[in-house]
Amino acid sequence: MPLRLLKYGLSRDYPVSGDIPATPELKPAYDVVIIGGGGHGLSCAHHLAKYHGIKSVAVLEKGYLAGGNTARNTTTIRSNYITPEGIAFYKEGVELFERLSQELDFNVMFSQRGQLTLAHTEATVRSFHMRAEMGRHMGTRTEVVDQKGVEELCPLLNMDYGGPLEILGGLWHADGGTARHDAVAWGYAAQASRRGVEIHQRTEVQGFEVAGDRVRAVKTNRGRVACGQVLIATGGMNYDVALMAGVELPIRCYPLQAMVTQPLKPWLHTLVSSVSLHTYLVQSSRGEVVIGGGSDPYQLYSTRSTLDMKEHLAEGAVHLFPFLQGVQLLRQWAGITDMTPDYSPIMGASPLANLWLDCGWGTWGFKATPVAGKRMAQTIAEGRVPDILKPFALERFETFRLLNEMGATAASH
Amino acid sequence: MKLLTCPMNGPRNIDEFQSFGPVRAKLDPNATADRDWSRHLFRAENRKGILVEWWRHVPSNYFFLAERDLVTNEIIRTFDASQLRDRA
Amino acid sequence: MNRLPAPFGSRIDRSRRIRFTFEGKPFEGHEGDSIASALAASGQWVLSRSFKYHRPRGILSMTGADANALVQLPFEPNAAAERTPISDGLRVSAQNVNGSLERDRDAIMDMFGRFLPVGFYYRTFMGPRRDSWLKFWEPMIRRKAGLGVVDTKAPARHFDKTHLHCDVLVVGAGPAGLSAAITAAEAGADVVLCEENPEIGGALSYGRYDPAVLSGLSSRLAALPNLKVLTATVCNGWYEDNWLPLIQGNRLHRTRAREVILATGAIEQPAVFRNNDLPGIMLGGAAQRLIRHYGVRPGDSAVVLAAHDDGYRTALDLLDAGLSVVELVDPRPAGEAGPLEAELRDNGIAIRKGATVEAAEGTPGNRHLARVRVGGSWIACDLLAVSIGSAPAWQLPCQAGGKVGYDAATQTMTITLPQGPVHLAGAVAGTDEIKDAIADGQRAATAALSRLGHAVAVERPVTPKTIRPRYVQSIVADPKGRDFVDFDEDLQVKDLQNATKDGYREIELVKRFTTIGMGPSQGRHSALATARIVAEATGRTIGEIGITTARPPVGPETLGVLAGHHEVLERRTALHARHLALNAAMKPVGAWWRPYYYGDASSAEEAVREEILAVREGVGLLDVSTLGKLEIRGPDAGEFLDRLYTMAHASQPVGRVRYCLMLNEMGSVVDDGVAYRMAQDQFYVTATTGAVARVYADMLFWNAEWRLKVDVLNLTGAFSGLNVTGPKARQVLEALECDIDFSRDAFPYLSGRDGTVAGVPVRVMRIGFTGELSYELHCPSSLAPALWDAVMATGKPHGLRPYGLEASRILRLEKGHILIGQDTDAITTPDELGFGWAVSKKKPFFVGKRSIEMRARLGQTRTLVGLQFPAGARNIPGESCLVLRNGAPVGQITSVGYSPSLGHHIALAYVHVDDQAEGSSVTVKCRNGELVEAPVVAHAFFDPTNARQEI
Repeated sequence: MPLRLLKYGLSRDYPVSGDIPATPELKPAYDVVIIGGGGHGLSCAHHLAKYHGIKSVAVLEKGYLAGGNTARNTTTIRSNYITPEGIAFYKEGVELFERLSQELDFNVMFSQRGQLTLAHTEATVRSFHMRAEMGRHMGTRTEVVDQKGVEELCPLLNMDYGGPLEILGGLWHADGGTARHDAVAWGYAAQASRRGVEIHQRTEVQGFEVAGDRVRAVKTNRGRVACGQVLIATGGMNYDVALMAGVELPIRCYPLQAMVTQPLKPWLHTLVSSVSLHTYLVQSSRGEVVIGGGSDPYQLYSTRSTLDMKEHLAEGAVHLFPFLQGVQLLRQWAGITDMTPDYSPIMGASPLANLWLDCGWGTWGFKATPVAGKRMAQTIAEGRVPDILKPFALERFETFRLLNEMGATAASH
Repeated sequence: MKLLTCPMNGPRNIDEFQSFGPVRAKLDPNATADRDWSRHLFRAENRKGILVEWWRHVPSNYFFLAERDLVTNEIIRTFDASQLRDRA
Repeated sequence: MNRLPAPFGSRIDRSRRIRFTFEGKPFEGHEGDSIASALAASGQWVLSRSFKYHRPRGILSMTGADANALVQLPFEPNAAAERTPISDGLRVSAQNVNGSLERDRDAIMDMFGRFLPVGFYYRTFMGPRRDSWLKFWEPMIRRKAGLGVVDTKAPARHFDKTHLHCDVLVVGAGPAGLSAAITAAEAGADVVLCEENPEIGGALSYGRYDPAVLSGLSSRLAALPNLKVLTATVCNGWYEDNWLPLIQGNRLHRTRAREVILATGAIEQPAVFRNNDLPGIMLGGAAQRLIRHYGVRPGDSAVVLAAHDDGYRTALDLLDAGLSVVELVDPRPAGEAGPLEAELRDNGIAIRKGATVEAAEGTPGNRHLARVRVGGSWIACDLLAVSIGSAPAWQLPCQAGGKVGYDAATQTMTITLPQGPVHLAGAVAGTDEIKDAIADGQRAATAALSRLGHAVAVERPVTPKTIRPRYVQSIVADPKGRDFVDFDEDLQVKDLQNATKDGYREIELVKRFTTIGMGPSQGRHSALATARIVAEATGRTIGEIGITTARPPVGPETLGVLAGHHEVLERRTALHARHLALNAAMKPVGAWWRPYYYGDASSAEEAVREEILAVREGVGLLDVSTLGKLEIRGPDAGEFLDRLYTMAHASQPVGRVRYCLMLNEMGSVVDDGVAYRMAQDQFYVTATTGAVARVYADMLFWNAEWRLKVDVLNLTGAFSGLNVTGPKARQVLEALECDIDFSRDAFPYLSGRDGTVAGVPVRVMRIGFTGELSYELHCPSSLAPALWDAVMATGKPHGLRPYGLEASRILRLEKGHILIGQDTDAITTPDELGFGWAVSKKKPFFVGKRSIEMRARLGQTRTLVGLQFPAGARNIPGESCLVLRNGAPVGQITSVGYSPSLGHHIALAYVHVDDQAEGSSVTVKCRNGELVEAPVVAHAFFDPTNARQEI
């Protein structure tokens, strides 16, 4: 039995950890104001406080802590992208996840069980080779497996031999995994607040005071806050919040839906995703099978669910694993994603000198929670963008230096 | 399933339609600076509120416009593209 | 046996006996019994073990909502025992047990609860090593987690979907729903009434009410042909524009209703006290359902905890069912003074007011209730029926936009819906009495009818005569715990309180930290209590706390019923049967089936080589029917193509064929094909198989703005295409009966002709994807087999051979022709392909023009070139292998293959723009990591002067 459980058992009262202090009064000014109390904002706060000694930090969250896409995403963690810039960045993200429970002293349940992406067409196999070649070159564990390899990794799959959706091969990414999304945010929140960061829940940003090329203050429903530096990390609200500062981002919002079955004894041991079926499945440590797919087909700022998407995801899941017909669905939900034209995030400088962007995370932001926080904290602390983030600059859309990750993102996030 | 009223085919399930995104300002490509041109390409309307956007009724390949609220998803009205030109 | 005589047991047919097993032991029940009722009738009250502490659990609500009553069926995990009917030979087993239900080795967990406080797993299981979680702790937790076991060998079942349309959909056939449906149907509306239970009536079917009420409503219902009743049908969600899934067995009715009336009733809430989870403690409604629906006596000796009329009715029902009611405990100081109390007293039942059940104790192993403590003294009993109040069934109303509130004056949870096509009726809207529910159903129906345009007087909402504050249990954590708030997740009062101490003070955070409400019952029995506990713990009101968002589905639904019987879209060309007859190896390409090569798999390589050889030296025939085929007609057709494609088409002479290259607005290459000008105002344009749907859409999208006088037809399915190619192609065509002059001068390269070949009307284009003399014959698909047969027969003496996709790919690679999507990606420009020749410099506008000019100014970084590998090279890189420059990736191989015509491997690859010149050498990283050098050569590897296609 782990020591801590013994401690719990022997202590008379519940050992209160006080992970998230109650929201304090807003001070008139902070060195850094982070807009968005999701995983990214909290991660940045933690890194600022722990590694850069910046402790006058306020995280402003309009709802409850980590209640946006941090709470709604399906927690895929991977680095099997296409572009070398993307792979380098996400690889660092995976590495940070490998040490995250220790870093936070909070079990984020990083479960590196590998991700198997399936190809039903030759074109997909070709794109997998591209990702595997680039991934291996960049030092990640990414390889193309043939039909036999797919069957060995996931023997329960319907291979559909001779059928229209025959599985021709797969992309096996041994670095892939999942983590408990809430725990990541709470762990960062607990660490950050222990070092003096203030977390303000139910605190909504309503505008900015801009003078020249600087943000002077942030206006909230609880009053005005002057700020040295500002970070926007508001997930589905990034476009909206940046616009308040006069910054128009190349972002469009789409709902992304997912659903979960009742808890089952473990039968699915890797993440499985199908490009052609736009469906992916992963079984959580609670035993629930999380099923997701592509974004909704039109722009919307809403977290409503649709029956059509649920039917579509069920079709995909039952095609891949026909024995799931009798399994019961428990819940469906949605998040609002901020999609960029090239399926890569926008990180770094904005047109305003002290306003920094951690935006455009679309459907794929969770995996970058540690690395985006770390690198954005470095950016804010040093006042300049580190090399690893430079390719993700907002200006890339003016110079056609796109980081096209659509092929590596659409079905797997 | 949401309903969308096609100006030509009447109210139909929205899975018969395909969104073609917000209507964008028309630019003369030859009289537009590079910076404005890239903005034209990559930035699309995403403000909370009512959006005018292109829709296609797939079976008939008919393109028309809809005014839709990006937050409530309410469709205010749909109309033929000729009316957009009239309006402009 | 706990079976009661008729008339109890409305659902069972006593003449039909059904045998089944539970945990391997034989049981017997009647037709109509659910698993839970049949087991209860035989005295088997324990159905499962709880999630965390492995405590014995049984019937709580008889509504099928709780994890406690989920069982394992052979092909269905987590089946609701309270709803699933028994059938002969059904093998049922308990879930979440380690060993057997009776002897669960994990029952020891109940002793170690103090070692496992809420959220303990976040604070431990991290060490000692970095991968300890993955390697050690998680596998252990995963084994313990989960409820049922999925049978991976379950046979396929059939599911289907239908569509229903109606004026008014009424959900719930209780008194309010029946009344609403009847009112709407009597006014002439087309009505569907959906009820999850096997019979109509709701509470009227199991509660202690005058049977005349239900029979009166039933007879009015039966007289209405425009009222369709769907029993055993669950309305499992509300979606935008009144789109609702009604699930009836294996069928999903996708339902569109103009108006919806939700008469979903109320959900009885459990009481919170120590050991409130023991089998034998159930909601009053569960006891009544057991008695009236199944004729099952729910115990022998009962205590009733009542803070509501329904509790008094339950007590009277228990008496009727022959139980001894030891005491009725009413926590309200004044209790219920009325006829029900009088009737109970007349029967000699002790009523204790102002007291409550403080704790319970079980038999050894907590297998059943043994006694309850009331006012400090213990009362022996084997049944505790709890009727302390209910919450409106908020799930569907909230999905439809309803807001949950809390009325502090009456201490009730309320739901308000915005004005619109969804209405609430009955208990869900706050009515308490049957007659109020019936009146409220009428009112809701009238409101719906009015919106539908019926001339009806809209009634005002029903206001109950007396509004009394409801009883609210004050929830105090028992010092010894085991006072469960959420039975699914084994959560106790202190767990919620402790979560708030750790800072998880918002209801959604409490839910996420403790997992409350996340189990199969989705908070049905815990949401209200949770709100109260959190409000109390954080010093806020219940209204401020609220409940978590209700998301679909309302109750569990199988993936099978959602998936239906789904068929994957497959397309076959008109020549599919011909290919099969020729023993073609068919492969799916997109949605299409295409011949890959002709012959057995064992000799595939040889077949491909022979097919290539046939085209290079004789004549081959390829089915190109999957090509996109578009016809552009109208006076502006030339201008239209000029704007869409990069080359000049307005000036293209009639009878000529021209390559066409399509860019998107970003200037990236998205499609190519050929355009044959058939007449001044008519073009026949091909598009790639994968892109035609998008091209067809884009054409009209652009023209919605341009408003040019053109009409676009997508003839992809209507027309088929046959490519006759090879040095002997002309001989074959000239040997066919035809009215087209195929001679070199009459029909030059890059021209097109209409006519008749072998009696089939054709459009013929002389183009050259293979690099050989080629004629592409397009004809109506219905006539394609006849044309194919004629070409095959006539070609036979010339050695004509059909060839497949693989040979076609090599043939085009030998010519350096690109495949869109394989040799291009999302950012490829014409310059990168060396396609400057295909881009008009004169046209003022075409889609993508502005962007490629801008991108040219920004600087080109890569170019697609040919690479050649010496014959006998040891290591040939595969497709997608990286091209490196100073160790950094600058491009990749896009196509590679062995050229039988040249005798060595050739490839197309993106290389750094500075390496694009012929004669440069580039470094390619092979699959095995080895670096090889390859010389850059011209695209057209074979016949670089293109002499062969122009003979």
